[in-house]
Amino acid sequence: MIRLEDITVKFNEFTALDTINVQVNEGEFFTFLGPSGCGKTTTLRVIAGFIQPAAGRVYVRGEDITHVPIEERNIGIVFQSYALFPTMTVRDNIAFGLKIKKMKAGEIAQKVAEIARKVDLSDEQLGKAVSQLSGGQQQRVAIARALVTEPAIICMDEPLSNLDAKLRVQLRNELKSMQQNFGITTIYVTHDQEEALTLSDRIAVFNKGVIEQIGTPNEVYNHSSTEFVCNFIGDINKLEPALIAQINQVSPQLDPNQTHYIRLERVAVNRAEGEGAFCTKGFIKSREYYGMFIKYTIETDAQTIRAIVRNDGVRIYEQNQQVDITIKPEDIMSYPKGEGRP
Amino acid sequence: MKTESRWLKPENIFRLFGMGVFIYLFFGFMILPNLNTLTQIFSTKNAAGEADPFAVIRFFFAGNMGTYVLNSLKLGIGLIITVNVVGISVVLLTEYFDIKGAKILRMGYMTTLIYSGVALVTGYLFLYDNNGILTTALHNAYPQVDKNWFSGFNAVMFTMTFATTSNHMLFLRNAIRNIDFNTVEAARNLGARPMKVLWKVVFPTLIPTLFSLTVMTFITGLCAMSAPTLLGYDSINPEIVRLAGSSIADEAFPQARAALLSIILALFTIVLLTGLSAYERKGHYLSVSKTKAKLVKQKIHNPVANVLAHIYAYVLFVIYMTPVVMIILFSFQTYGAIRMKTLDISNWTLLNFFGKADYSYLTSRGTYRVREGAISGLFSNADTLGGIRISFILSATAAALACVIVVVAVNYIFKNKKKGVVLEYALLFPWLLPTILICYSYRTYFNSNDVWYVGNTNLYYMENVRLLIIIAYTVVKLPFSLRMIKAAYYAIDEELEDAARNLGASGLTTMMKIKLPIILPSVLAVFALNFNALFTEYDMGATFASSYGTTYAMVMQSMTQEEGLYGFNVNASGRRAASTVFVMIVSGLVLYLVYGVGARDLGERLALKEKRKQRRERVLRKLGWGRSP
Repeated sequence: MIRLEDITVKFNEFTALDTINVQVNEGEFFTFLGPSGCGKTTTLRVIAGFIQPAAGRVYVRGEDITHVPIEERNIGIVFQSYALFPTMTVRDNIAFGLKIKKMKAGEIAQKVAEIARKVDLSDEQLGKAVSQLSGGQQQRVAIARALVTEPAIICMDEPLSNLDAKLRVQLRNELKSMQQNFGITTIYVTHDQEEALTLSDRIAVFNKGVIEQIGTPNEVYNHSSTEFVCNFIGDINKLEPALIAQINQVSPQLDPNQTHYIRLERVAVNRAEGEGAFCTKGFIKSREYYGMFIKYTIETDAQTIRAIVRNDGVRIYEQNQQVDITIKPEDIMSYPKGEGRP
Repeated sequence: MKTESRWLKPENIFRLFGMGVFIYLFFGFMILPNLNTLTQIFSTKNAAGEADPFAVIRFFFAGNMGTYVLNSLKLGIGLIITVNVVGISVVLLTEYFDIKGAKILRMGYMTTLIYSGVALVTGYLFLYDNNGILTTALHNAYPQVDKNWFSGFNAVMFTMTFATTSNHMLFLRNAIRNIDFNTVEAARNLGARPMKVLWKVVFPTLIPTLFSLTVMTFITGLCAMSAPTLLGYDSINPEIVRLAGSSIADEAFPQARAALLSIILALFTIVLLTGLSAYERKGHYLSVSKTKAKLVKQKIHNPVANVLAHIYAYVLFVIYMTPVVMIILFSFQTYGAIRMKTLDISNWTLLNFFGKADYSYLTSRGTYRVREGAISGLFSNADTLGGIRISFILSATAAALACVIVVVAVNYIFKNKKKGVVLEYALLFPWLLPTILICYSYRTYFNSNDVWYVGNTNLYYMENVRLLIIIAYTVVKLPFSLRMIKAAYYAIDEELEDAARNLGASGLTTMMKIKLPIILPSVLAVFALNFNALFTEYDMGATFASSYGTTYAMVMQSMTQEEGLYGFNVNASGRRAASTVFVMIVSGLVLYLVYGVGARDLGERLALKEKRKQRRERVLRKLGWGRSP
């Protein structure tokens, strides 16, 4: 569907994107994930045509669109700020693209009504100014405006970043079901790993203008291909040499010349993990209560380690309480030291 | 072939055309006329007809020309003190301290926004001159009071002090309202007393604004025109106008001396504005708060200080309001009442506005009789109506032109950040030159058939002068318009333009349908402020001094000269009061339309529309014509 081939973007001397290669499939929900300034929005803007790459090609359905003007690309965009036209009503915002295409008034009215129904905007809301809508409603208008022209692809640039936590979760689900209903190829930009993991079919993790890994949410989370991805996605413990030495006494398979990580939920607290697992004792140093989960910081004789435990309402450990910690060696992710890649 | 087609694109043709027009206007109407003025100084000829480049400068030092410069400097420096004292007081009293009746006080302090220049000075004259209402009342009560107190330096200082605080009410008020109240609370929490908070926390954040206001006040004093002219004070600008209209037969090198004074004024302005820009570049105090708290008015706990503050506030209110109220009341009184300075309901009349009768003569005892057939009303008098018409057309055209030029330019500046800098500085260029220099330069440079780029047409000849005035009006309003409209442009989210382009809109469509509607309230506000300033503008009209370009302010100024002349047009004082009221109505209406109606966003407008619709339906239902809910 979309293919980026050796895309390089430079801003004066600064290389914002360095030989990016991505293939997005038809109907896929594909996410560009990474920290601020990593190049994810720049890549999106290259696809949309706002930025001309210094090198490389952009293909959509096999056709080279690298130099096709923005307005002829048939790519819809939902902007971070939504970019709704403040001097127009909701209806005029949605109809803007259709008017530009010089469609007949009747056809425009029909299409606007249809898309409004699909994104759950009432007739009353269509007559309002965009400033009179809530954040969630504004987001739906932005999506409706992008979809009404029936684009081949829709690009979303951090569309949930301006919303409060509860609304984000609610709209995340709505967004996913909308995408599935429309079956439209979606490129989604975010720095929020949770958002990327819950929404995406596949994720490209960006770092300093390059893609570190492309994979399904499970692949990037459980089989992070680089140290950066492993660190960026989810919370993680870095294992100290003293603990590595203790683990190797039980199951000698960790290379001391590599860096080793284990995710918090893979550290078992007072729970037997079977044969071959490494077990040690520790004391609860502190506790963070999240409701559904509890995060413990545990002091062992080798290092301080963090663990996340499902809150069953029964086993809640107090400060200085002694606990057993169990780590399965196969849950440990290892990367060569200093290279940043495995 | 490829290159040709690229250059033949409409956008590029439009851009080339625009650049051509810009270069033509910049060199033709900003550089060359002013350069000509500069060279005039050094191309003077002495009595023997020989070129003597330094004759004017020698004359300047030998004669009394230095007095005009010193007087202007004295006025500028004096105003810095008085305007800041009054300006800061009125803003603190209405915005910072909890003073009873602050809303009413604010309205009074803001009256200078609806009448300024000649209208304001004539209003003050109406009260304070030797025949004025208050002077007469004071003299009657205390015969030792000098009836001629309101003239010269004191009168100019008094009038300009209150006239110039309108800038404080606009900009300092805005700055004080933007103060984060949490900083005040934090200081109080740390043990600072209210006055300490004001001095150590509030004032430092106002310093950049105060600095700008001080520079602007000084320049206003230096370039003062209407007040010195009407109140009799020898300063630079009235002297330039006098010299510009003088001939060599009357005195030595008048035009070159006018040019020299203009250049001196320009030098002062350039130095001050350069200092101001350098200071502004250092940056302003920015609030580092994540959430700003709205300023809560501070109570004055000391009862004595509180009473004194209230007395001071209301004394200022009376000073601001008395001319306004008196002028409005007396504009509806007969000439007899105006002359005797007594309000009398039986002397109520609309003659000053619509009357077609005049008072034919006065006797030494103050008696008069009405002469039928003569014209004395504001809207019946040909001269006054002519002035209004000329001022309306010239001001509206120039205000609109300045807005159009600046909107197009700002769009280019934002799109081409590097190249746009040149355009931006070119548009700010007139700010460096005093208005009077620009007008004087136009008057002398275009008063010739030899300027090839205007088709060898004498632009100062007969009706052509109106075009010249429109150009001058437009040019002097460019810097202000640029600063205001550029600020509005910053409010446009860059993603809006991207969104419009993504939806297929061309550059022109994006400009007309997306960007322009967003900045329209600001553009309209700039248009209104420009129009208001130009409609009652006196300085430029007086510099051009052409009977084909007699502006409303010039007509009003001439009324003060005509007043009391035996035999004809003796009702000039009534018409003058009516004129000032008319200016207040026009300015007030324009400001209301722009700030009151135009500033509402779409949401507010739609909500109001909905409210009106519901109200209408309710009324119809009550009358039994509407549908049941």
